[in-house]
Amino acid sequence: MRFFGLRPLNDSNTVRCENLSLSASNEIFTMIEKALTGDRRYWGWIFFLLSIMGTGFIFYLKQLNYGLRITGMSRDVSWGLYIAQFTFLVGVAASAVMLVIPYYLHDYKKFGKIIILGEFLAIPAVVMCLMFVFVDMGQPMRAMNMILYPTPNSIMFWDMLVLNGYLFLNLIIGWTTLSAERNDMPPPDWVKPLIYISIPWAISIHTVTAFLYAGLPGRHLWLTAIMAPRFLASAFASGPAFLIILCLIVKRVSKFDPGIEAIQTLGKIVTYAVIINLFFFLLEIFTAFYSNIPGHMHPFKYLFFGIEGHGKLIPWMWTSAVLTFTAIALLINPAVRRNENILMVSAIAVFISTWIDKGMGLVVGGFIPNPFEAVTEYSPTMPEVLITLGVWATGLLIITVLYKIAVSIKEERI
Amino acid sequence: MPKFGMVIDLEKCTACQACVVACAVENNLPPGNINDAQMNRIIRWLKILPISEAKGGIFKMTLIPFTCQQCSRPPCTYVCPVSATYKNPDGIVAQVYWRCIGCRYCVNACPYTIKFFNWYEPENPYKENANPDVSIRENGVTEKCLFCHHRLQRAKEAAKYENREIGVDEYQPACVEACPTKAIVFGDIEDAQSKVAELSHSPRAFRFLEELGTAPNITYLKEIK
Repeated sequence: MRFFGLRPLNDSNTVRCENLSLSASNEIFTMIEKALTGDRRYWGWIFFLLSIMGTGFIFYLKQLNYGLRITGMSRDVSWGLYIAQFTFLVGVAASAVMLVIPYYLHDYKKFGKIIILGEFLAIPAVVMCLMFVFVDMGQPMRAMNMILYPTPNSIMFWDMLVLNGYLFLNLIIGWTTLSAERNDMPPPDWVKPLIYISIPWAISIHTVTAFLYAGLPGRHLWLTAIMAPRFLASAFASGPAFLIILCLIVKRVSKFDPGIEAIQTLGKIVTYAVIINLFFFLLEIFTAFYSNIPGHMHPFKYLFFGIEGHGKLIPWMWTSAVLTFTAIALLINPAVRRNENILMVSAIAVFISTWIDKGMGLVVGGFIPNPFEAVTEYSPTMPEVLITLGVWATGLLIITVLYKIAVSIKEERI
Repeated sequence: MPKFGMVIDLEKCTACQACVVACAVENNLPPGNINDAQMNRIIRWLKILPISEAKGGIFKMTLIPFTCQQCSRPPCTYVCPVSATYKNPDGIVAQVYWRCIGCRYCVNACPYTIKFFNWYEPENPYKENANPDVSIRENGVTEKCLFCHHRLQRAKEAAKYENREIGVDEYQPACVEACPTKAIVFGDIEDAQSKVAELSHSPRAFRFLEELGTAPNITYLKEIK
């Protein structure tokens, strides 16, 4: 390297820098390479997901052309399946913090092996969140207006900030710690502060998403001070439950064992969280029904019993309730939840029940009845469901690829 | 700067819907179709809100002309992530269609359920005869009653041309003009001399969902029986 005939002071330094950057890009390629090698089963799954993504994308193009009329949403229920998924997935993104706190703050070493799985779950979860908000927009081409013209008065602006921030934090932390592990080195020191920042940041994505709802006058189901705590409780139930499912799948399809103790501790976290979630829900029921304020009671009546013959969500809500109680019954006894199959079943039950309760139950329930007590029902249309499945498939594809990379590196270390 | 408000006398109103039609024509609203009606997607900036009650076994329905309440503290403007809806200097809750990203957050935040989303490119068969003062909306944006803001703009321009202040009765929204029973009164509610200010302090006056702190600028008059 020569500038105007001047020689750099130390030539060897330059060479080393180039080598370093070369090795960094090499590293990314060798890591991605691991996601490109797999057996027939792996590729079958990938192509299955790609086909669902393709279908979803075709219907999204249709939505772009025809507008959101292809969905089932209306004036009174103007957020539906998309925003329900978004709300639920913000919770799933949190599961990382339930590993980060014990491992980094309480030195709980058992989580060392699976912490990367938590971080790599947060990434696709946030990506799905952002995609669901995007597909819900009427004018997605103008999405950048949110960044170009910041509006600190809008909670949606803050939600966009914290979600993107959380995505980048987890990308940086996950990738750095994994490549350090691959090179048998401790993670660099500069990651530590980022890890500590990621803890309150994870709490913030839930709190801010809860504020999206909790600050609106006239929507009684949402207008509650414990909306953020409820979000956190259901997040710490559904996220770790999903992580248990993923850990058990990883254990079955690869040589990497996440460790019985780690999975059992996750089970313990889910148990506490699902009970707290139920407790918070019962608090809402008490306030609504003991105070006997009609506006507060109506959404719950609609969700569980129906109003004036309208009750499309009744079977869903009761499924959610039954699944919650089943999961608690199975999880509460440590001897029972030690059985891996039972743990798997209860994790699936928790995941589905919170998916219903925090998704469609919360979002659609908040609209019915409207402030003038008129009932307009909502049910998603087929294109809407296919677009939703497409986004889920995208998330699952990212999970698969990231987990494949992480697990391959773990397998090399066995 | 005047603060515009409206008083609707429900004792005078016959629910003839002339205001609804006048509003729709003035503001180039798409007529809508059967499918829209079934899906609850009809756009009417001014609509008839039916309030039904059962009193002593007798079913009673009150029909109320209902429009954007032009809140002094509008919940919809606080939530907008792109400043597409805001309280403009004339005290009117404005909507800029070209900024709107169609997130429908304002639609949900409005407790009066009186903001409307365009679920598709508006189909207006009267496009050739559209009111040139009002822009035709596009797919995927939210719209609402603007107190016929374009009329205010015209009146302001006329006044400026003649180098004078805008007069009291120079600006009236289409619905006020159309009302055959003069049930709707419009004007500056901060001007103590105006009829609208006088009526808004009437003992018969009430405002919708005032308990939410939205401070609506539309007052209704109804005899309490």
